[in-house]
Amino acid sequence: MRVPLEWLKALVAIEAPPEALLERLPMLGLGSEGLEWFGGEAVLELETASNRPDLLSILGVAREIAAAWGLEVRPPAVTLAEARTPASEMADVTIEEPAWCPRYTAHVISGVRVGPSPVWMVRRLEAAGIRAINNVVDVTNYVMLEQGEPLHAFDLDRLAGSRIVVRRARPGETLMTLDGVGRTLDPEMLVIADAERAVGVAGVMGGAASEIGTGTSRVLLEAAAFDGPPVRRTGRRLGLRTESSARFERGIDPRIVLDAARRAAALLVEVAGGEVLAGAIDRYPHPAPPVQIALRLDRIRRLLGVEVPREEVEAILRRLGCGLDAQRDRLTVTPPPGRVDLQREEDLIEEVARHHGYDRIPEATPVEATRAGSRAAALEAQAAVREVLIRAGLTEAVTLSLISPQVVDRLGLAADDPVRRAVPVTNPLLADHTHLRTMILPGLLEAMRVNLSRRIDAIHLFEIGRTFHRTAAGTGRPAGPGGAAGIAERRSLGVAMRGRLVRGWNIPAEVEEVSFFHLKGILETLWAELRLAPQPERAARSWLHPGRSAHLRLDGEEIGVLGELHPAVAERFELTGRIEVAEIDLDVVLSRATLRRRFVALPRHPAVERDLALFVPADVSQAQVLRVIQEAGGSLLEAADLFDVYDGPPSPPGHRSLAYALRFRAAERTLTGEEVDAVMAAMHRALEATLRARPRA
Amino acid sequence: MQEEIVRLRRETERRIAEAATPEAIEEVRRAYLGRSGRLAALFEGVARLPAEARPAAGRALNELRAHLEARFGAQATAVADRTRVAQLEAERIDVTLPGVRRHLGRSHILRRSIEEVQDIFVRMGFEVVEGTEIETEEFNFERLNVPRDHPARDEQDTFYLTDDLLLRTQTTVVDARVMRERRPPMRILTAGRCYRRDVVDATHMPVFHQVDGFMVGEGITFADLKGVLAAFAREMFGPQTRTRFQPDYFPFTEPSAQVAVEYGAGWLELAGCGMFHPRVLEVAGIDPERYTAFAFGGFGDRPAMVRYGIPDIRFFWENDLRMLAQF
Repeated sequence: MRVPLEWLKALVAIEAPPEALLERLPMLGLGSEGLEWFGGEAVLELETASNRPDLLSILGVAREIAAAWGLEVRPPAVTLAEARTPASEMADVTIEEPAWCPRYTAHVISGVRVGPSPVWMVRRLEAAGIRAINNVVDVTNYVMLEQGEPLHAFDLDRLAGSRIVVRRARPGETLMTLDGVGRTLDPEMLVIADAERAVGVAGVMGGAASEIGTGTSRVLLEAAAFDGPPVRRTGRRLGLRTESSARFERGIDPRIVLDAARRAAALLVEVAGGEVLAGAIDRYPHPAPPVQIALRLDRIRRLLGVEVPREEVEAILRRLGCGLDAQRDRLTVTPPPGRVDLQREEDLIEEVARHHGYDRIPEATPVEATRAGSRAAALEAQAAVREVLIRAGLTEAVTLSLISPQVVDRLGLAADDPVRRAVPVTNPLLADHTHLRTMILPGLLEAMRVNLSRRIDAIHLFEIGRTFHRTAAGTGRPAGPGGAAGIAERRSLGVAMRGRLVRGWNIPAEVEEVSFFHLKGILETLWAELRLAPQPERAARSWLHPGRSAHLRLDGEEIGVLGELHPAVAERFELTGRIEVAEIDLDVVLSRATLRRRFVALPRHPAVERDLALFVPADVSQAQVLRVIQEAGGSLLEAADLFDVYDGPPSPPGHRSLAYALRFRAAERTLTGEEVDAVMAAMHRALEATLRARPRA
Repeated sequence: MQEEIVRLRRETERRIAEAATPEAIEEVRRAYLGRSGRLAALFEGVARLPAEARPAAGRALNELRAHLEARFGAQATAVADRTRVAQLEAERIDVTLPGVRRHLGRSHILRRSIEEVQDIFVRMGFEVVEGTEIETEEFNFERLNVPRDHPARDEQDTFYLTDDLLLRTQTTVVDARVMRERRPPMRILTAGRCYRRDVVDATHMPVFHQVDGFMVGEGITFADLKGVLAAFAREMFGPQTRTRFQPDYFPFTEPSAQVAVEYGAGWLELAGCGMFHPRVLEVAGIDPERYTAFAFGGFGDRPAMVRYGIPDIRFFWENDLRMLAQF
């Protein structure tokens, strides 16, 4: 809202310089965007809250200022000389949809001479940001700015049947609005019609056919109250937002309508001549009952935490134009017309707080029973995962959860791949933000591409965030509010790594460069910290290297995949080198994790260490070998660390060599070499029998 | 005999001094102190001496042996020291060559800054909970006193998934969820992603972060709200930090305020806040006559940008490692 200072001063005698106004107004809740100079005049640019239609008027701003500075508002005097002919002889008004139009008034002014407005009016309008058109239209705009009530002037001679009907639009009804655009309307929209057709979209914009022109001599001046939500819906559907609709959307009090109409009629005669016919047509089938609010004085203290003296409370409300009826412990308050935001006790308490000053309310400490702060268990667990990954050397990324399906296409997925079941947004804003992500990984690969394009080549990223999936309804997983509609929201972890892990010189590539086993090691560290042991199994994913990928199974449930990105996919993401990636369903992981720690006694007896070197058939996995070792080692086997894998000679053809460092220990006694020898012998027998794994000579 | 002892002593001392390696020392020792060495030969000669001279000669030879042993020991140490010095000298490196460095992992600055906010509220007794990013029209708007066609929705242009499901526009929706589930007193905090149909520019992204908190109890006042947020600001920005509360409008609070802290030359807006509107409490089944509540929400991307001097919100989402490594 642009408020020309000179116009404001005509309504309230404020002496304070504009800078002082600008400083104080935000403390009253009138946010200011600053001061603009327009043709040598100061114009305040105010931001007003969406519940204050009254502040979209100079008079409303003047009331706030008067209340804050203890001044009087001087509303313009209205003297309306009416002709003898009654308006009702020349025009008629019918409201067919009173729920959407609680009040409609029409003044008829005849003998108008359309021409330019006086200079003072043009200046005020232009300073307020509205282009002058002609004296009749300018008066409607002027009074709208002054009083906050939108008005519209029709050329009465162009209204068929000289009548106004406020009704829903007919299906397919069309109207050329004042902006020259042909509009197609429907029954969810309210129109102003004459006896034959729509002549305006109620509360939004008038029609071109009944526009005031140079030949106009009889004017029907509309001042009405239209219900906010229908105006808002109609405006949005027509893509039209006007000064008028902005005010109706916030709610126009039917009680201000007639005063504003009389002010406009008087001003119209003043600047355009003619005479106002007797008796406005005023259709107001259900007059709004008077609003009376009980304000308990002790409730002010209970809500604000400060004692505002009764005299001050009364003075604030009175200056804001409220009627007061004082009782012992309360006030009965009648808000002034136009203040549609004042409906409950709390609304009045806010008025008291604003004008008493938020800065004068003390800072207190809540006395409610003190409790130690805490975090939800899932958040604690998630924080633990983050910490492990960061300690393992990964950098946390934050990527968008709105994506384009084309990004997912780069993964080269089959048409029925679940990753393709992305949830679409019904009203996306941008072509590349049309769906919700089903995986974290594409975002990380995109971040990797950005870094690589900037010649940063050591990139080790992770992100924990929500992913969204279309599911068959009733899959049993906790899915959030979207569950019933077949939309599941999950917590996922994505990891993407490439390039050097350590920076230095002469470091062997196998140490320096990220490999599948580096990624796997990080995840193993994570599982160890969470006291979980998911099992890797060979996986088939179109977007992963067929020989270097695995999925992870935890208690029979698949919790994610890890592996090397398929080189074809890497190319589509414009990535070079070997990319190691993982995508884990964290909800399952976190629900099974153990984070609480207890001391475990340190060993008191010495360990016995043995090396175990084996020739193993090539089709036997390391995991199979380890399982046999652990079973045979039983409770005495404390650790089995693989330290050598070799598949050249002297391994027999079709075999590879695996070597483990084994550590045996008994909790309550010192193990003897003989006991360990016996276990080792049993272990060798088991390895030979189940896996045809033989000791290496 | 006496002369022979003196001669042997001088000769041995000279040979020890000449031995420059551990091997040479060992050779000299064998030659002089060995089983068939020169000293052993002198010991054999003692038996041929007159009986009265034997004790003195024996004593003298034992002293010589002890003396020579000490000399051998000292020379061995000296040689070992010299060898080590030479060896260490040979191992000299260029200490100005760069060290071998591991890549340190780190948290994202945006996430860390939100964690910082949370930590402070946890220290003030708040319980951190989470919500979902997909929400319903009912919770995101209606239970927060924002009916359909309310003008306040203009500021929260919403992404919809279905007629009823949407991407939450504010973390305040979690407050509505928690209040329906629990009974007062409550001190709750939540944080996470929110979505609005905002055009991307230096300060707007369609996805952004908020921290939201509220406290419900008997006798909770606006003064408590000011006290808690001012205490927060002092924790986060330093003990001298000034806060400013200005009236604002939110449909779910009454009175409503915008809280800002003095920062640099101006004021940094941290959050919107206020006393929960009685209708919000009523909808949650909480008696607004008995209980009052304050709520606040904000503290997201914008304050983090200002605090860390990040000029463009898109830097948060780009994940350029050179940027992330600065924090």
